[in-house]
Amino acid sequence: MNENIFLFSSPLSLSLSLSLHNSSYLLSLYFLSLFLSLSPPVFSSPFLSPSFSRHSFSLSLSLSHSLSGVCGCCGALRPRYKRLVDNIFPEDPEDGLVKANMEKLTFYALSAPEKLDRIGAYLSERLSRDVARHRYGYVCIAMEALDQLLMACHCQSINLFVESFLKMVRKLLESDKPNLQILGTNSFVKFANIEEDTPSYHRSYDFFVSRFSEMCHSGYEDPDIRTKIRMAGIRGLQGVVRKTVNDELQANIWDPQHMDKIVPSLLFNLQTADSRSPSPLQVSSEKEKESPVELTERCFRELLGRAAYTHIKNAVTPVLMHLDNHSLWEGKTFAVRCFKIIMYSIQSQHSHLVMQQLLGHLDANSRSSAPVRAGIVEVLLEAAAIAASGSVGPTVLEVFNTLLRHLRLSVDNELSGAYELTEEGSKVIQEHEERQLQEAVIRTIGSFANTLPTYQRSEVMLFIMGKIPIPGVHPILPNGSGPEGNRMIQVMLLKSLRQVTSGFQTTNMLTALPSAFLEPLLCVSLLETPELRLLVLQILVSLIDRHHNTHHFSCISIISDTSVLKLKLDKCSRQDNLFMKKHAQHLYRHIYLCCEEASSAHTHFHTLYTLLALLSIELANEEVLIDLIRLALALQDLAVSGEECLPVFNRCAIHALCAAYLNLISQLTTVPSFCQHVHEVIEVRQKEAAHLLPEDVFIDDPRLPASLEHTQECVLFAQSKIVEALGGSGYNAEKLATPYVPLNIDEDRLSKRKSVGETISLQVEVESRNSPEKEERTPAEEITFQTLKSAIVDSEGMEEAERARRRQVVEKFQKAPFEEIAAHCGARATMLQSKLNQIFEITIRPPPSPSGSLPASSTSSYAQAPPPRSVPVYEMKFPDLCVY
Amino acid sequence: MSTEDYDYLFKIVLIGNAGVGKTCLVRRFTQGLFPPGQGATIGVDFMIKTVEIKGEKVKLQIWDTAGQERFRSITQSYYRSANALILTYDITCEDSFRCLPEWLREIEQYANNQVVTILVGNKIDLADKREVVRQRAEEFAEAQSMLYLETSAKESDNVEKLFLDLACELIREAKQNTLDNSDNSPMPGEGKSISYLSCCSLN
Ligand SMILES: Nc1nc2c(ncn2[C@@H]2O[C@H](COP(=O)(O)OP(=O)(O)OP(=O)(O)O)[C@@H](O)[C@H]2O)c(=O)[nH]1
Ligand SMILES: [Mg+2]
Repeated sequence: MNENIFLFSSPLSLSLSLSLHNSSYLLSLYFLSLFLSLSPPVFSSPFLSPSFSRHSFSLSLSLSHSLSGVCGCCGALRPRYKRLVDNIFPEDPEDGLVKANMEKLTFYALSAPEKLDRIGAYLSERLSRDVARHRYGYVCIAMEALDQLLMACHCQSINLFVESFLKMVRKLLESDKPNLQILGTNSFVKFANIEEDTPSYHRSYDFFVSRFSEMCHSGYEDPDIRTKIRMAGIRGLQGVVRKTVNDELQANIWDPQHMDKIVPSLLFNLQTADSRSPSPLQVSSEKEKESPVELTERCFRELLGRAAYTHIKNAVTPVLMHLDNHSLWEGKTFAVRCFKIIMYSIQSQHSHLVMQQLLGHLDANSRSSAPVRAGIVEVLLEAAAIAASGSVGPTVLEVFNTLLRHLRLSVDNELSGAYELTEEGSKVIQEHEERQLQEAVIRTIGSFANTLPTYQRSEVMLFIMGKIPIPGVHPILPNGSGPEGNRMIQVMLLKSLRQVTSGFQTTNMLTALPSAFLEPLLCVSLLETPELRLLVLQILVSLIDRHHNTHHFSCISIISDTSVLKLKLDKCSRQDNLFMKKHAQHLYRHIYLCCEEASSAHTHFHTLYTLLALLSIELANEEVLIDLIRLALALQDLAVSGEECLPVFNRCAIHALCAAYLNLISQLTTVPSFCQHVHEVIEVRQKEAAHLLPEDVFIDDPRLPASLEHTQECVLFAQSKIVEALGGSGYNAEKLATPYVPLNIDEDRLSKRKSVGETISLQVEVESRNSPEKEERTPAEEITFQTLKSAIVDSEGMEEAERARRRQVVEKFQKAPFEEIAAHCGARATMLQSKLNQIFEITIRPPPSPSGSLPASSTSSYAQAPPPRSVPVYEMKFPDLCVY
Repeated sequence: MSTEDYDYLFKIVLIGNAGVGKTCLVRRFTQGLFPPGQGATIGVDFMIKTVEIKGEKVKLQIWDTAGQERFRSITQSYYRSANALILTYDITCEDSFRCLPEWLREIEQYANNQVVTILVGNKIDLADKREVVRQRAEEFAEAQSMLYLETSAKESDNVEKLFLDLACELIREAKQNTLDNSDNSPMPGEGKSISYLSCCSLN
């Protein structure tokens, strides 16, 4: 269609055109109105509706007005598009856009798209002039016209028109009048929602990002207008993001130069609105209206949702910066809120990137105050909980390594009082803050571990284990921290381990808990302090309990009928049996040594009971059952004979533990005469020696006798009767005849127990008794002696048993699967090896230095020790995790 | 034919400690007033003013940043695209002067390396409270090869001169640049490149 037709159309040609285009009523209407506007004002067609003619009248007036205003005499020569544009402006701006003429303009633009850019340029020229002359009514009209043109013509060839359009938006945004800023923003937002199909080469949104971000921070005095400007800024930013995010030719909106403006602007609005949230009344009255916070949050979510893998970093970095600058880590709530939004909005496969950034930020804040670090850790905790499983990503160990490093850092800070505080009180505060941080880190470790599959979780357990400073096994802390630092780190790491192991479920104990993990865990040096000892027991409990039975046994008590517990059990698997073959001795010994510690308190005995009970129901085949009974009897012996080394409480506690445990295990064996015997002994105790039963021992103020010298045989469990009862029921109870002795099967040759004092005891036993340390170390000496004795007994004594055993061995080698044999031989070989090592060690070790008898001997003897040969766990390779 | 109403467009960013009078300087220049009880700037502020220099229209886009530490990350993001920086301190506040090296480091780190920097000592109307003598500031500016000017937003001393001098300097640099590498340097004098585009679009 050509514009000439329009120019020279007459009333006659009108009917022709109508018939030509009757397919479109709308088109004809355009024709009509177009024709009318060109007619002299006096012309009035009788067949037109009154409203139509009224319109045409006012239009023509405005036309002549604007013609005289703009061009003076040359009006007739003005290009058609200019006249069409001029006609949309009413005489009085209050009247608003002249709709009919706007339709004409739109029609013209649609039919002559090549003129679109000129229309745009001319409109923008007019608008600039009106802005300069403060004729804001006309400004609004021009903008409305532009919007309509943009909407109507958006399909083709708007590219050049957009140039003019954006120039006008820009013009409005440059103004210091809030209304114009908002007007410009609204137009921009409309434009942003148009999908263009042609690329835009030379468009720059820099100004828009800068200005919209600035508007987000508006400091306008009137609070209502301020809110409006800020909200306009947010919507503007949302528009820029929408417009550019999919346009490959656009300067990347994800570049830091844009993100560093957009993200803080959003956060600022998310945060300020936070402090003055509207009253409930206000909320209900303005239900439909979105609040600034809601708008901001929606916009932030949209931004994050669009972020691809490579954009995450640039989007999250400004968040970290903002939280730093506005000191928002300490308060936690806002930081947590931000990262909840982030974690829920980003594509879930990217969550590990956020985690890594948070971890990196934690590192960057190593020197910051404890509350800041705790805030970051808290955020990590929340984020890890949201992230889908496996979100830790490819660098599992790196995550734990960072967290553990901060745990250690915090311990160092706590010990050294890192930031040189002036007041006395602030040191206390600082310690308190560091403690809180440590707790937060430990909880976060647990939270991360919860997202891991079993196999990775056991790798992590091994990794943490490898970080625990255990003299002679893993390197102890570098100088400076001293023994206290070592102990604190041990506590922290064991607590972390407890977090990781809680809820840990495995069907294959053998692979999930390798020797490299169990051996250091059961190492005697972790027995020394009550806190460490308890932690180790708790870890063992959560590792062994695979059927959630712990709560039944969390307190020592005599359960008269265990069937009411409705215990959940599975039959021991082959792996379970192999696991016990390999590690049972170690576990028994650990339990025994725990009982032997004078510093054990109620909780220790409760946990020991839990452990024994769980071992019996989770991992006990017949052989293990016998071993456990044997252990219980050995513990009873310890309680009876331990007067020189154990306080009365401990001895009563051990008796009570044995009673509760034998009561349980006798019911598990379901051997009537065994149950009978246990029951009888307990009954006698109830009458004559209640202080040997848990109900009387494990209370707040137990009434215990001054000594246990007069304990009678009848209150004790009799080995002979048990052997008889079990043997009678087809159990292979011969082993019970040999008292259990805690064999020294591990390699803690450098630990305290086997340190200087022991060497003396072997070389010149009498002399060593004089050393002050020796006096309190009697049990250690006893073990050494018994170890040697049992070694002899093992090799020579008991022909009978030996023959039976041989027969068993031959049988086993004939029938058992290869793995079982291998495991069995492995265990034996280790035992032999360690015994040899022990003897070797003793004979070649140089005489102790004089300092060996000082209380600090343990540390000094570590210092003399040769460097450990074992490879620390953290240096070991984790192929699965590294490759993954 | 140009549809633009300017020949040059320059972005100027004001930086400096909180309370040295950046906002007052901008408002004095753009609105001709000294605002009583001017509150601290939040984030960034934006003003525009077009001036005429030797017959050429120069549009100055002025970004006034908050001096407060907590807005540092958003304000830094505005340095990057600046053609000129007005580094302001308060002559009655030794502290604001002592912070200058820190500001220079920020500039070094975040701003374009062609940026024109001018050092401004504000509040000279408070002569009796002066803590930083003129010579000291001049020496400092010279050592850092910056221009130096002393102003009073309150008394309107040197405010006009500050922005006009800066505009002249920017025009000089822009012309130099177009000479050096005839076109394709959109950095200073953005107005030129835009009008070039709109010329093309006409046919
Ligand atoms: N006497 C005097 N006072 C001034 C002058 N300029 C600013 N002030 C005062 O200094 C105070 C701070 O001025 P602002 O312009 O808000 O300072 P600013 O640098 O923008 O501060 P921020 O926005 O926080 O970075 C106000 O109380 C002004 O009245 C001046 O030239 N002379
Ligand atoms: Mg200010």
